[in-house]
Amino acid sequence: MTNITFRPSQTEILAYTGGTLGISAVPGAGKTFTLSALAAEIISRGDLDPEQEVLVVTLVNSAVDNFSARIGEFIAERGLLPRVGYRVRTLHGLAHDIVREKPGMVGLEDRFQIIDEREAGFIRREAVSAWLAAHPHDLDDFLDPSLDDSKRDWVRRQQLPKLLEGLALAFVRSSKDRRLTPDALRAHLDRQPAPLPLAEMGWQIYADYQRALAYRGAVDFDDLIRLALDLLERDQEFLERLRYRWPYVLEDEAQDSSKLQEDILRLLAGEKGNWVRVGDPNQAIFETFTTADPRYLRDFIAREADFPRELPESGRSQPGIIALANRLIDWVMEEHPDAEARGALAPPHIRPAPEGDPQPNPPDDPAGIRLIGSKFSPEAELQAVADSLSRWLPDHPDQTVAVLVPRNTRGMEIIEALKERGLDYVEFLSSTTSTRAAAGALGNLVNYLADPQSPTKLATAYKVWRRDWREGEDEQKSRYGRVSKLLRKCRRVEDFVSPQDPARDWLSGLRESESEQILLELESFREVVKRWQGTTLLPIDQMVLTLAQDLFTDAADLALAHKLALLLRQVSEAHRDWRLPDLTGELAVIARNERRFIGFSSDDAGFKPENYRGKVVVTTMHKAKGLEWDRVYLMSVNNYSFPSGQPNDSYISEKWFVRDGLNLEAEALAQLEAATQRGEYEWYAEGQATLAARLDYVKERLRLFYVGLTRARREIVVTWNTGRRGDATQALPFAALQGWWDGRE
Amino acid sequence: MDELTPAQTDVVAAPLEAKIFLSGPAGCGKTTVGVARMLGLLEAGVPGASLLVLTPQRTLQEPYQNALRSPEVGAGGQVTLATVGGLARRTVDLFWPLAAEAAGFANPDQPPVFLTLETAQYYMAHIVRPLLEEGYFESLTINRNRLYAQIIDNLNKAAAVGFPHTEIGARLDAAWLGDPSQRRVYADAQDCANRFRDYCLEHNLLDFSLQLEIFRDHLWPDPLVRGHLTQRYRHLIYDNLEEDIPLAHDLIADWLPDFDSALLIFDEGGGYRRFLGADPETGRRLSDLCPSRAVLAESFVVSEEVERLARSLENVIIPAASPSPLKGEGTGASVLKFSNARFYPEVLDWVTDEIAALMDGGLPASEIVVLAPYLSDALRFSLMNRLEARRIPARSHRPSRSLRDEPAAQALLTLAEIAHPDWGLRPTSFDAAYAFMLALESDLVRAQLLAEIVYRQRDLNLSSFERIKPDVQERITFVLGSRYTQLRDWLLACREREPMPLDHFLRRLFGEVLSQPGFGFHRNFDAARVAASLIESAQKFRRVMEPANFASQEGEPLASLGREYIAMLQEGVIAAQYLESWRDQPEEAVLIAPAYTFLMQNRPVTAQFWLNPGSEGWTERLFQPLTQPYVLSRHWPKDGLWTDADEVAAARGTLARLLTGLLRRCRERLYLGISDLGESGFEQRGVLLKAFQRVLQEANRQG
Repeated sequence: MTNITFRPSQTEILAYTGGTLGISAVPGAGKTFTLSALAAEIISRGDLDPEQEVLVVTLVNSAVDNFSARIGEFIAERGLLPRVGYRVRTLHGLAHDIVREKPGMVGLEDRFQIIDEREAGFIRREAVSAWLAAHPHDLDDFLDPSLDDSKRDWVRRQQLPKLLEGLALAFVRSSKDRRLTPDALRAHLDRQPAPLPLAEMGWQIYADYQRALAYRGAVDFDDLIRLALDLLERDQEFLERLRYRWPYVLEDEAQDSSKLQEDILRLLAGEKGNWVRVGDPNQAIFETFTTADPRYLRDFIAREADFPRELPESGRSQPGIIALANRLIDWVMEEHPDAEARGALAPPHIRPAPEGDPQPNPPDDPAGIRLIGSKFSPEAELQAVADSLSRWLPDHPDQTVAVLVPRNTRGMEIIEALKERGLDYVEFLSSTTSTRAAAGALGNLVNYLADPQSPTKLATAYKVWRRDWREGEDEQKSRYGRVSKLLRKCRRVEDFVSPQDPARDWLSGLRESESEQILLELESFREVVKRWQGTTLLPIDQMVLTLAQDLFTDAADLALAHKLALLLRQVSEAHRDWRLPDLTGELAVIARNERRFIGFSSDDAGFKPENYRGKVVVTTMHKAKGLEWDRVYLMSVNNYSFPSGQPNDSYISEKWFVRDGLNLEAEALAQLEAATQRGEYEWYAEGQATLAARLDYVKERLRLFYVGLTRARREIVVTWNTGRRGDATQALPFAALQGWWDGRE
Repeated sequence: MDELTPAQTDVVAAPLEAKIFLSGPAGCGKTTVGVARMLGLLEAGVPGASLLVLTPQRTLQEPYQNALRSPEVGAGGQVTLATVGGLARRTVDLFWPLAAEAAGFANPDQPPVFLTLETAQYYMAHIVRPLLEEGYFESLTINRNRLYAQIIDNLNKAAAVGFPHTEIGARLDAAWLGDPSQRRVYADAQDCANRFRDYCLEHNLLDFSLQLEIFRDHLWPDPLVRGHLTQRYRHLIYDNLEEDIPLAHDLIADWLPDFDSALLIFDEGGGYRRFLGADPETGRRLSDLCPSRAVLAESFVVSEEVERLARSLENVIIPAASPSPLKGEGTGASVLKFSNARFYPEVLDWVTDEIAALMDGGLPASEIVVLAPYLSDALRFSLMNRLEARRIPARSHRPSRSLRDEPAAQALLTLAEIAHPDWGLRPTSFDAAYAFMLALESDLVRAQLLAEIVYRQRDLNLSSFERIKPDVQERITFVLGSRYTQLRDWLLACREREPMPLDHFLRRLFGEVLSQPGFGFHRNFDAARVAASLIESAQKFRRVMEPANFASQEGEPLASLGREYIAMLQEGVIAAQYLESWRDQPEEAVLIAPAYTFLMQNRPVTAQFWLNPGSEGWTERLFQPLTQPYVLSRHWPKDGLWTDADEVAAARGTLARLLTGLLRRCRERLYLGISDLGESGFEQRGVLLKAFQRVLQEANRQG
C-alpha cells in the first residue's frame, strides 16, 4: 500500500497469515483502518479461490458500509476489482445469509420475512396485554404493599404494561440467546419443584409472541441468529462448504459479541481456523441482559489466541485527555469502592501516537479540560452548557463539538435550550437525516390524502412538493411562501382541486388579487393533487411509488421510497384493517426512526462529525461510539446515570411501585436461568438477581463514562446535576477524576 | 411457414404410421416440426378429431393453437389440444358413474365437483385451520396459504409420481437430516393430506391429485374407457414431454402401441418444471418404445456468442459439465451488457433506457423480455410505469394488481358488505369514501365529505342526503347527492329482500345502478371489466362450494358464502390471478415476467434483461419446509438422506438448466441489471452474480 503509512503495531498485525489472532485496541487506535487493511492484504496475496471471500463481521449497520468502502479503496489501490473477494456483514446480516441458503432445514419457507424491531414491539405489546387481561392479579404479589388500592389500580393500568413490555423483550431475547424454544422452555418449567411465576409469565408471552411470528411466516432478528447456529451445527457438509467459502473470519467490536455470535464464528472458523478478533473490552457498552461480556474477549486474547496483540497507540486526543482516560482505568482497577466492579476496565492504557505519525495527537492543553464539580439543578445544567456553547461557538466555526447525554430525553431538553439561544444544532439521537427526510416527505403527502379536506395539510403537501424552493432563489422563495399561505386559507378544498363549474373555481376568485405566476403555480399544483388523489385507490405500495415519482429525483431517495413501498405493503398485509391514517403513522414512525430501517446501510453510515463544523451535535454517549469531536460536553454525570454501588445510589430498573426494590426484569431472567439449571445449588433466590444486575449496570456505566471521555480530541467539559428529585450526587468516578486532575495541577 | 431443414423435413414427411422420438436442445426447431407434422397429417386427410396434441402445460399449446387458427386448415373436426391432467378430468367427468363407486366416493349418484387450485386451497384451509389451533406445524414458520399449497402439492406429487398418498410423510421423514424436532411436521402434513382426501371422497370433491389417480387406477384400466380413448385418438403429437409428470409418461408408454402414428418431442436441456413434479428421465425412456428416433442439433435461435456465454456460465456453475472446453473460443462475454448502479431504481431507469434504445434501433417490443427470479408488485408496477411513460408497450404475466387490490373490486365488495349487515363486516369510512368515489364518479374530497356524514361504521347506517345541512349539501353538490340517493335506496331495498348469492348481488348492483349513466362504471371500461371478473370469480366459488354443501354443514345459510368469499379473497387464499386478462394484453409488447414463466412460454427473443442477478432466488426453489421435489420423485432411493451435497448439486443443476434454457431462447443480447443494493436495500451476492463475475474475469484474462 503505497501512500499509506502504518504504525509498527499495525504493521505487525498486517503480517498475519493465519491462525487465531486477538487484538485489544484502545479508542482511536484505528481498528477499522487496520482490519480493512488486513482484509485487503489477504485478498491481494492471491491465495483465495474465486469462490472464496474474507468474511468481516461487525456490530452495527453503519460500520458495514464503512468497512466495505475502506477495503474497496485498499484493493482498488492495488489494481484489483472492488467488491470482489470479501463480504462485510453484521451478525444479523451474516445469519441472514446463512439461513437464506437453506431455510427449509430450519422450518422456514424460502421467502420468509424478517420483521423488524418495530413490528416485533407491536406483537410483543399485544402478547403482553393479552397476558395482563388473562391474569390481572398475578403480579399483585410483586407490587409494593404500601400502595393504596387506587394507586395500585393506576399502576396496573399505566405502569405495568410498559414494565412488562421491557421485561418481555429481555425475556424473549434471553430465551433465544439460550436457544430455548417455547416448547423447550415449557419442558424445563414443568420439571421445576417450585413455581417460578415470572418465568411462567415470560414463557406465556414468549409462546404467544412466537405463534404470532409463525402466523406471519416471519422470524425476528434473534431467531435468525439462533437458526443460523442450528443450521451450522446440524449440517456438517454445509458448514464445510461455508468454511471453504470464508477461509478468513475477521471480527470487529468483538467485546460486544454475544455467546451465540462467538459460537457461530467459532464454527465458521473451525478448529485451528483463521479467526481475527479485534475489540476494546473497555468500550463494551451493549451488555445489559445479553450473554455478551467483555471478559470473553479478554480471555480469548489471553488464553486462546495464537497471536495476542495490542493496538495501544491513538492519535485522537490531546495528552491531557489521554491521561484522564488512563487515570479512570487505574482508579477503577485499584480504588473503586465496590471491589467487584474493579474488573470493569482493564489495560492496555492509551498511548499517544509515536513521533512522526501521520495522525499526530493534538497539542497538550490542560486548559481544555474542564471537570466541573458545581452542583447544578437539571435546568441549571442545561443553561450552563448552553451558555458555554454560545460563548464558544462563534470563535470556533471550523471545529466540531458534541453534547453527549446518557439518555434521549435529556438530549431533547438540551436541544430546547440550544433552540432558545438560536444555536445551530444537529440532532443525532436516534435517526439519520435522509431516511427521515424521505419518509417524512411521503408521510406528509399521505397525511394529506388521508384527510383531503384539510387546507392546512394541503398546504403542507405543497411545501413538501416544492421543498427545494425553500432554499431557492428569492423569487422562488416568495412564490413558495405566497402559495402555501393561500392554500392554507382555502376553506373548501374541493373548489380548488375539482371545482364543479368555472364559477365556483377557487382560483377564479384569486384572479383579481394574485399575479399570473402565482395562478400558474396553483394550477400546476392542482394537476398534481388530482393525480395524487387518484392514488388513494391504489394498494399502498403502488401509491407510495407513484407519489415518490413526483417527489424525488435523487436515486437514494427513490430507492428508499421503493423499500418503503415494500415495507408498507408488508405492514398492510399484516394489518388488513389499517387505512391511510395508520399507514401515515407508520411513515411517521420511520421518519422518527423508531423503526430501525434495515438495509441501505450507507444511509446509516452517513453521520460524519466533520460535516457539521460550527454546529452542536447532540447525541447519546452510546450513539457517539466510534465518533470523535474537537470539543465534547458530557452531561448528567451523576450517581443516577452512573451509580457506583453505593447505599445512596438508585437504579433505573428498580421501579418504585415494585416491592423490596426488586428489578423485575432481572428477577425474571434469573428465574429463566434457574429453570434451565439442574444443580440444586443453583436454585432461584429472590433479590439476588437485582443485586447482580446492579453490579453489571455499575460496570457498564463505568465503561460508558470511559467511552464518553475518549470521544474528545482537544477539549472536554464534564458536568452533573442533582436529578429530578434533587437528591442525586456527583458520580463517584467523575469526582475521583476531578480530585486527581485538580491535585495534579 | 418458414422453410424447413432437411432434418426437419424428414420428420414432417415421415410415413403416416411412423412413431418417432424427436430430441434436441431448445431452439433447434422441434416444435416447428411438431406443428408442421400436425398440419401435414391434416393435409393428408387425417380427421382432426382423431388427432391428439399433448403438452404438459397449456401455455405450450400456443404454437399449435395458432397454426390451427389459420384459414388454410381444412375441416375434419377439431384437433384435441390437451394436457394429461385435462384429459383425465374430462374422462372422469364423462365416466363419473364408473369412477365414483370404484374410487370410494360417498355419493356416487351425485355429480362430481372439480376443484381448481384455489378452491382446493379453500377446502384445505377449512380442514387445516382448526388443526393449527391444536398445535399442528408449530415448529414451522410459514405463511398459511403456502402451507396449504404445499400439502396440496404433496398430494399432487404422489399422484404424478405414482406412490400412495399415505407415504408422503414417511418419504420426507426418511430423507430429513435437520433438527429431529422438525420431523413432527411431516406427520402433521401426512395427517392433513389424509383428512383432505377423506373429505374429498365424502363430498364428491375432486382435486387434481384425485382426478389423476382415478383416471390412472380406475378408468384407464377399464376396457370401456380405454376403448373409447384409443378409438377416438389415432395420432399423437406429444411436445415438451420432458416437462411432464411420470404418470403422463406411464400412460403414453402404455397407450403408444394403440396409436397409428406418434411424434414424441423431447427437449434435451429441459426439466424446468421439476419442482412441480416434471421428470425428464421417465420421459426419456419413451424413446425406447419408438421404432424411429430423430435428433435436431442445430440452433436456429442463438448466435454463436450467446452459445459461448451459455457454455461459459455452465462451466462455472458446474465445472466440467459442458461437453466442449472453453479455451480458445472466447467466453461469449461480448453479448453481455450490465448496469453498475448503487440503488435499485437506477437499474430500472437503466433498463428503460436500454429498451428504448433497442426499440429506436428498430427492434420490435415483443423481441424483448425483462426477467427476474420473482417479481414483487412494486417492481412490476415501477417498471410498467417507466415503460408506459416512454410509450413502450409492456405486458406482464399477470395484471399488476390482483383482484382484491383492484379499486373497482374493492368498491363493489364494500358496497356488498354495507348491503349485508348480517355478515358482520364493517368497512371503515375510508372504504366507504373510496367506494363512493368510484361508484358515484366523485372526487376524493367530496366522497370523503359525504362518507363522513352519511355513513356510520358501527351499524352500517346510511343516512339520507336530505338530512344533510344545506351548505354542506351544496359542497357535496346535488348531482352527487342524487346519485348517492339512488345508490342508497337500492342498497337499503336490498337489505329487505331475500338474500341472494354474492354474484347475483354484484351483477344486479352493477346492472341496475353502477353501469347507469352518471355512475362510475358507466364510462369506466376497466372498472366494468374488473366487475365482470369479480362476478365470475364469485360465481365459480359458489358453484364449487354449493354442491359440497359446505357452509350449511356448519348450520349457516348458503348466503353467507358471500362473506366466505370475501374472507378468502382478503386472506389471499383466492389469489384471483385471472388468466383471461393477460391474454387480452397486446402481443406486441415487452414482456415482464418471472424467469420460469418465460421459459414455459417457449419462445425465443432477441434481447433479455435479467434483473437481480445477485438474488439467491435464482437458485432457491427447491427446499420447502413441507415438500421436496427430489425426495418425492421416482428416482430417490427409499432410505436416502437429503444431504448438503445433494442440495448443492441439485441447486446448481437447476440453475445451470435455467440459464441454458433462458439463453437458448435469447438470440443476441443479454442485459444484467445489477445494483449494489437490492430491492430491499440488501447487498446481494448470489451464485449467478458470482458466475458472471468469473466469466468476465476469464474474458479479461483472454483479453
